[in-house]
Amino acid sequence: MSYSTFNQNQVNPLLEPMFFGNSVNVARYDQQKHSIFEKLIEKQISFFWRPEEVDVSRDRVDFQALTDSEKHIFISNLKYQTLLDSVQGRSPNIALLPIVSIPELETWIETWSFFETIHSRSYTHILRNLFTDPSEVFEDIVINEEIQKRATDISRYYDDLIFYTQLWQTHGEGEWEVDGEKHLVSMRELKKKLFLCINSVNALEAVRFYVSFACTFAFAERDLMEGNSKIIRLIARDENLHLVSTQQILNLWQYGQDDPEMKEIAEELRDEALNIFMKAVEQEKQWAHYLFRHGSMIGLNEEMLCQYVEYIANMRMEAIGFDAPFKQRSNPLPWMNKYLVSDNVQVAPQEAEITSYLVGQIDSNVSASDLGDFEL
Amino acid sequence: MSTAYKVIVNGQQQLTVDSSQGTLLEAMEAAGLEPHYHCRNGFCGACRVQLVQGDITYINEPLAFVRPGDCLPCCCVAASDLEINQ
Repeated sequence: MSYSTFNQNQVNPLLEPMFFGNSVNVARYDQQKHSIFEKLIEKQISFFWRPEEVDVSRDRVDFQALTDSEKHIFISNLKYQTLLDSVQGRSPNIALLPIVSIPELETWIETWSFFETIHSRSYTHILRNLFTDPSEVFEDIVINEEIQKRATDISRYYDDLIFYTQLWQTHGEGEWEVDGEKHLVSMRELKKKLFLCINSVNALEAVRFYVSFACTFAFAERDLMEGNSKIIRLIARDENLHLVSTQQILNLWQYGQDDPEMKEIAEELRDEALNIFMKAVEQEKQWAHYLFRHGSMIGLNEEMLCQYVEYIANMRMEAIGFDAPFKQRSNPLPWMNKYLVSDNVQVAPQEAEITSYLVGQIDSNVSASDLGDFEL
Repeated sequence: MSTAYKVIVNGQQQLTVDSSQGTLLEAMEAAGLEPHYHCRNGFCGACRVQLVQGDITYINEPLAFVRPGDCLPCCCVAASDLEINQ
């Protein structure tokens, strides 16, 4: 069935499943099947921010004073986050919008992706300040092997779902041959791919960002790179919200509060979903190893970072109904929490712990002498 | 009406919480329990604990999915004596 930008059939969105029902026609929010998504939209919009609001000029001086191993940690993390947000800025739109069936979720997906593009723009803002020409950093993202390994795993579930959705929307269900390869397209198969895709996105939002967050906040603990840390705080707050949405989707399926077939699939593919999560955790630990291969930084080392990944993974996995697989039950980096508390993000600038607090500041003091040589 | 309730944590530790004096999370912290938290605002779900027995009231509606039998102490207060597992 082909996609229509305005489905002319009369459909009742209150009876539609989240995905693979009738496509959305009227964008109405007066009635909602899953009102949580409307609440998430409201919350997300209330978090609106612009990278340019945050002054990062002091970071350049701090950066010059970092050791080579610390520079490696800082820049590698920025590269990795740039990759993550490049994917997240487009993929939910391309993969999920063609198959979504309720308006509030459709708009949530668009809002979510839009915020990821703000994150992407903020990395350019940070890098442009640190380097006269940041091209080298950006170009390395597609060459760097460590980043590539992660990119493969992050994008494959999306790509798979997108490809099968395209086949389904152009040819319908059946077995189709593309470039000599046969593909079985059935609704069950599509839903399975969707389930795995959401699990992969959930793992991404749940653990993949946190290694770099930890490094950024470890710099901030030493009063270094504070502009950057202020931006990452805002990003962390947004990512927390994005994670809530994927957790909501997974739980709604599991508890049979949406498509009953998705409940079956959630049970059928439980082990595979678990593997996706465990693999993300493993990759993050390897990333920590890569970061610290030239030496660690004050206040943080590979072991602590791996413990933090396990700690956070336990929490995230319990949230979607898995047992906590790791022993690490206490927080090995307790100072992280003060950067993740949402209330601490928006405070009066003069009260913030961060010293570089000029937010879109202009000088509005004009003395009469400034206009001394002004003639009419 | 009294707003003080007894809370049993992990089947052993017992504390008295006053619902008018802040959230359950704050009461747990005051008792030195070191609960998990991130956002303290009901949307990340990091503080999730198991609610074995008793009633709670959310002062802010949580955005995180609260699985049956769980509660988010960062945005709720006790509405009866409670038993929770951390």
